[in-house]
Amino acid sequence: MQSVQHMVRTGRRGPMHEFSMAFSDLGASLQRIGLAWSLAWHDIVSRYRGSMLGPFWITLSMGLMVAGIGFLYANLFKIPVNEFIPYVALGIVFWGLISNVILEGCGTFVQASGILSQTSLPMFTFVWRTIMRNVINLAHHAVIIVGVLIFYDHWRQTNVPMGLIGLFLLMLNISWISLAAGMASARFRDIPQIVGSVIQFAMFMTPVFWLPGGRLLDHAVLLYNPFFHMLEVVRAPLLGQAVSAPTYIFLSVLAVVGWAATFATFALIRRRIVHYL
Amino acid sequence: MKGPEVSIKVTDLTLRFPVYGVDSKSLKKHLARITVGGQLGRNSMGATEVTAVSKVNMELRSGDRLGLIGHNGSGKTTLLRALAGAYEPDEGTIDVHGQIAAMLDLSLGIDPSATGLDNIRLRGRIAGLSAKEIDDRLDEIAEFTGLGQFLAMPLKTYSAGMQARLAFAVATAVHADVILMDEWIAVGDADFRKIAHKRILELMERAGILVLASHDVELIRLYCNKVMRMEGGVASPIMDVKKLDELLADASDADAA
Repeated sequence: MQSVQHMVRTGRRGPMHEFSMAFSDLGASLQRIGLAWSLAWHDIVSRYRGSMLGPFWITLSMGLMVAGIGFLYANLFKIPVNEFIPYVALGIVFWGLISNVILEGCGTFVQASGILSQTSLPMFTFVWRTIMRNVINLAHHAVIIVGVLIFYDHWRQTNVPMGLIGLFLLMLNISWISLAAGMASARFRDIPQIVGSVIQFAMFMTPVFWLPGGRLLDHAVLLYNPFFHMLEVVRAPLLGQAVSAPTYIFLSVLAVVGWAATFATFALIRRRIVHYL
Repeated sequence: MKGPEVSIKVTDLTLRFPVYGVDSKSLKKHLARITVGGQLGRNSMGATEVTAVSKVNMELRSGDRLGLIGHNGSGKTTLLRALAGAYEPDEGTIDVHGQIAAMLDLSLGIDPSATGLDNIRLRGRIAGLSAKEIDDRLDEIAEFTGLGQFLAMPLKTYSAGMQARLAFAVATAVHADVILMDEWIAVGDADFRKIAHKRILELMERAGILVLASHDVELIRLYCNKVMRMEGGVASPIMDVKKLDELLADASDADAA
């Protein structure tokens, strides 16, 4: 049996106190990370209850999209299919991860309002819930990645360790964006619409299913597009290509700055979030 | 293992809600807003604020069972939510020793399209049970709900009373030292009330603290040994339950005046 718990809640006592409370929220959520996992798992199970394929429905529709866009563009632009399809497949799968973590981030706190308004569960638990839910989805889509890489004989060049490092950098960045979207959407209800439009716009600005010609970083549109770097850092190693150093630097700096700013905002408005809902 | 005694200590607790009306929730200009209940005021930013709980002091020790009475909007539920750790105080402190179980809202962690059993698991996880503990107790909880084969049905097919049974069964399955209850236990039928009554008595024997908000004077007489009246966010001193009639008489005097 655990010993008796102790909970202290106080009024504002200056920014330092707010930050230490925010850190203890983060710490408590990590201590009970299993709860976030259970909630995420429940979300997946309940979303696909009564369907035979479950999350593989998205995998299926993604697979169709990969095939459709892959063959069409490969023919239209005279690109070899065995190069283009793996490129598009990875692009679509990881773009799906990026866009869903951010879009679903908008509902992180809003959907948890019932729980947040009557328990002392850490708020970060719900951030992890959103992220883990999408990691579970990603695991289903891994089928597409593995299948395509093997079928088009790319797996020999695949650099899995660098790919995982890339995925980590990617997650590090989309998680703070997701948290920021969650806080903003709790306060202002038009944010999800805005986020939706921005993500859609970003999809067309990012080489998800088109190949930029020439040296990638010569294009300002790519150099300053965070989503390009996020995609590139995972996709290139998996296709056996090298990722340029500026991409790693860009993503690392973005992660540090983004998390610092978002966490500071979280610390300052944490006690208000429940009232927004 | 003997930690510090179970206790609740509330000092100068004030809770204010900024009112985020429909208008401010969309990015439009802040317009005039209307609210109900509590004391209205304006904060430094010029936004309307409701002071839902104002300078409440209370101290409860193990074995105390406090009944909260007061009109709608008098701050009872807000106080309970603050004790549960959901609302952060704007001023003052809340200091609770002991595992808290809050039964404030039936919808806590409930997924209407999931089955009763899945909802038991979900709620149990939220209440702090591990997946294994839930599996161990699932039969016991299922039996206590008395819902039988309905547990395999989606929750959206349940009546309010059935939902209450489920919620109550899970909430009381958790080891808790401090129980916070809003008045919803009344939705159950006579049968259920009888079992619920037993459960509450068992819990009370574990020498925890119970805080029950209710409009039902009989319910309070039944379970509580102390009472406190909230009015407009201001709390009366804690009194013995024997003085409940005086407290109520004061209230009607105040209303008449």
